[in-house]
Amino acid sequence: MHALYGMGIVVLSGLGLLFAAGIIIGEATDQWFLGGALIGALLITYSFIILLLRKMGMIGPRKAER
Amino acid sequence: MTAPKIVGFICDWSIDIGPLLSGNRLRDLPHVYIIRVPCSGFVRPGWLEDALNQGADGVFVTGCPYGDCLNREGNFLMRDRVDQLQRRLQRRRIDPARMAMLAHGLHDRTEFLADVQAFSDRLSEIATARTTSAPSAEPAPAPGGSS
Amino acid sequence: MSMTAAPPNRYGRLMTSLLRVTLRLDTFINKIYPTDFNPLYYTGGLSNLFLFVLVLSGIFLFFYYEASLGVAFESVRYISQDVPYGGIIRGVHRYAADGFIVGILLHLFRNWFTDRYLFSRDNPWISGMFLLLFGGFIGFTGYQLVWDERAQLLTSMFIAMLRSIPAVGEPLARVFLGGEGIGEGTLVRILFLHIVPASTLYVMLWWHYLRLRHPKIWPPGVWVLFVLGIVFLLAGVIPAISGQPATPSARPTSFPLDVFFMLPFWLLNWLSPGVVVFLSVVLFAAGLAVPYFSRRETVADMGVRHAGVAQVIDGNCTGCELCYFDCPYNAIIMVPSPGPGLSKAAANRTLLAVVLESRCVECGICIGACPFEALELPKFMERDVQAHITNAVQPTQA
Repeated sequence: MHALYGMGIVVLSGLGLLFAAGIIIGEATDQWFLGGALIGALLITYSFIILLLRKMGMIGPRKAER
Repeated sequence: MTAPKIVGFICDWSIDIGPLLSGNRLRDLPHVYIIRVPCSGFVRPGWLEDALNQGADGVFVTGCPYGDCLNREGNFLMRDRVDQLQRRLQRRRIDPARMAMLAHGLHDRTEFLADVQAFSDRLSEIATARTTSAPSAEPAPAPGGSS
Repeated sequence: MSMTAAPPNRYGRLMTSLLRVTLRLDTFINKIYPTDFNPLYYTGGLSNLFLFVLVLSGIFLFFYYEASLGVAFESVRYISQDVPYGGIIRGVHRYAADGFIVGILLHLFRNWFTDRYLFSRDNPWISGMFLLLFGGFIGFTGYQLVWDERAQLLTSMFIAMLRSIPAVGEPLARVFLGGEGIGEGTLVRILFLHIVPASTLYVMLWWHYLRLRHPKIWPPGVWVLFVLGIVFLLAGVIPAISGQPATPSARPTSFPLDVFFMLPFWLLNWLSPGVVVFLSVVLFAAGLAVPYFSRRETVADMGVRHAGVAQVIDGNCTGCELCYFDCPYNAIIMVPSPGPGLSKAAANRTLLAVVLESRCVECGICIGACPFEALELPKFMERDVQAHITNAVQPTQA
C-alpha cells in the first residue's frame, strides 16, 4: 500500500511537471485557454498528491484533531 | 478469567446503538455497559475516573466521526479531555490504555463492535500481565484502588 | 440515534430514511478520504470558497464590463477573447457560480436531513434560506448581463413573472426595467442588482455565523486546491460562451439551460408565470418553515438528546469560564458575579456563568467542561449518571 501511494505521488509529480511546462507553453503562444485549463489540472494534481501524502502518513491531521 | 468490566459513554447522535443493546449492555459483549449521552462532549472526565475507581477495568467514550459532530466540536473537546485524563491518571499508575475515545458514524456498527472488542482484549492483556507479575514485586494498592 | 423507536408518522419515517442515506454516503467517502478531508463535512466552507472565487473573478470582470445596451455584449466578447486569460476568468466565474449553488444545496440537504436545524439553529437555517434566494437571484442577473439572446429571453420571462404578481407586479417591472420596456437604464439596474445583492450576501453570512463558535468557513487544503483546479480546468476545456447578441428585433424562443439557476424559467414551458411565481413563494415559505415544523422524532423518542436546557448551579460556579469557551453555540456568557458562591471554590469568584436559554441546544458540552458540578441538564443530571455507573460496575451474572 505504502509503495503504491509512493509510486502514485511520483507519477502525479511527473504529470504536474508536464502541466507546468504546458502552462508556460500556453503563455508563450498566447493560448490562454490551454494555459488556464492546465493551471486547473495542476491544482487538481496537487490536491491528489496531498491526499496520497496524508494516506501515507507523512502529513498528519491538524494538531487540534490528532 | 472473567471478562473485563467496561463502561461506555455513547453519544446518541453518533452510532445507532439501539439495535445493539439488550437492556443497558451490548448484546454481543455483555461485559460492556452502555450509557447514552446527548453528545460525547457531555461526559465529565470525573465520571470516567469514578467508573475506574468504582471497579471498572476500562471506560470509553464514543462520539461522531471527527468533523461531523452534530454539535460541531463535542468530539474534539472530548478527545482532548480524554487525553488530559490519561496524562493525569498516569501519575496514579493507571494505564492510559484503560481509557479510550472512539469516533463512529451512524452506519459504523461493525467497526464500533470491532473497536470495543479490541479495547476489551487489550484490557484482558493488561489484567493478565498484572496478575502474572511476581507477587513480591507487586506495589501496594494505590488509594482509591486501581483494581 | 434511536431508530429502534418507530418514528411516529410517514414524514418522520421519510426523514429517517433520508438521514440514513445521507450518512451512508459518508461510509463510502471515508474509505477514500480521512474524515477531516471529507467534503460533506465542509459543505458550508466549500460554498464560501466558491463565493470567494466569484467575488475575485467578479471584480476582474467588473473592470471590463460596460452596462450599456449596445456595448455590453461586445465588452463581454472583449473580455473573453482579447484580454489575456479573460476568457478563463469568465469561465471561472461561470463555473464557480454553479459550484456555489451546488455547495449550498448540498449544505441545505445535509443539514436538513441530519437534524442540524433544531433549537437555536433555526437562525443559521433562516439566514441560509435567504442566502440561497439571493444567490439564485444573483446568478440569474449574471446571465442577463451578457446581453445575448438568452439574456433577452430571460429578461422578458422575468418581466412576465413580475407582472403576474397582483398589485405590485407592474410597478416592480417598471422599476426593474427603468421604464416601460427594455431601455438604456435596464442593464445598469441589472448590474446593480448583481453586485449589491452579492455584497448583501456577506451581511447575511454574518447573520448565518452569529450563533456558532468557530464556524467552518474554509474547507481543508485538499479541497481548496481541487475546487480551484476544477473551475480553471472547466473554464479552459469548456469555455463559457455567449449566444447571439440581443437585438430589439430578435425573437429568441429557446436557450441552453443552466439547471442551477434557470429551473423556474424552464417551468414556464408548461406553467403560466403566475403559477411559477406562486409555486416559488410556496416553496420558499416551506423552506423557512422547516426548523419550526419539521420533526423527525417526537420529544420522547429523542430521549437523552432532549434533556432540557442547561442550568447553572449558581452556588458551585467559580467563574472559571471553561463552559463559556467550550459552548459551540455561544450560549453561555460570563457576567460579573452578584455575590460569592456557596462552595469553597466559588467563594472568591468575580464572574458567574449564565446560560442564554434561547441559544441552548441541550447538547451538554458545558456539563462536560465544568470541573465544579455547576451545570446540569435537568433531565439527565449528575446523580443519574452516577446511578448508571454504579449499575455498570455491579458484578454481572456469569
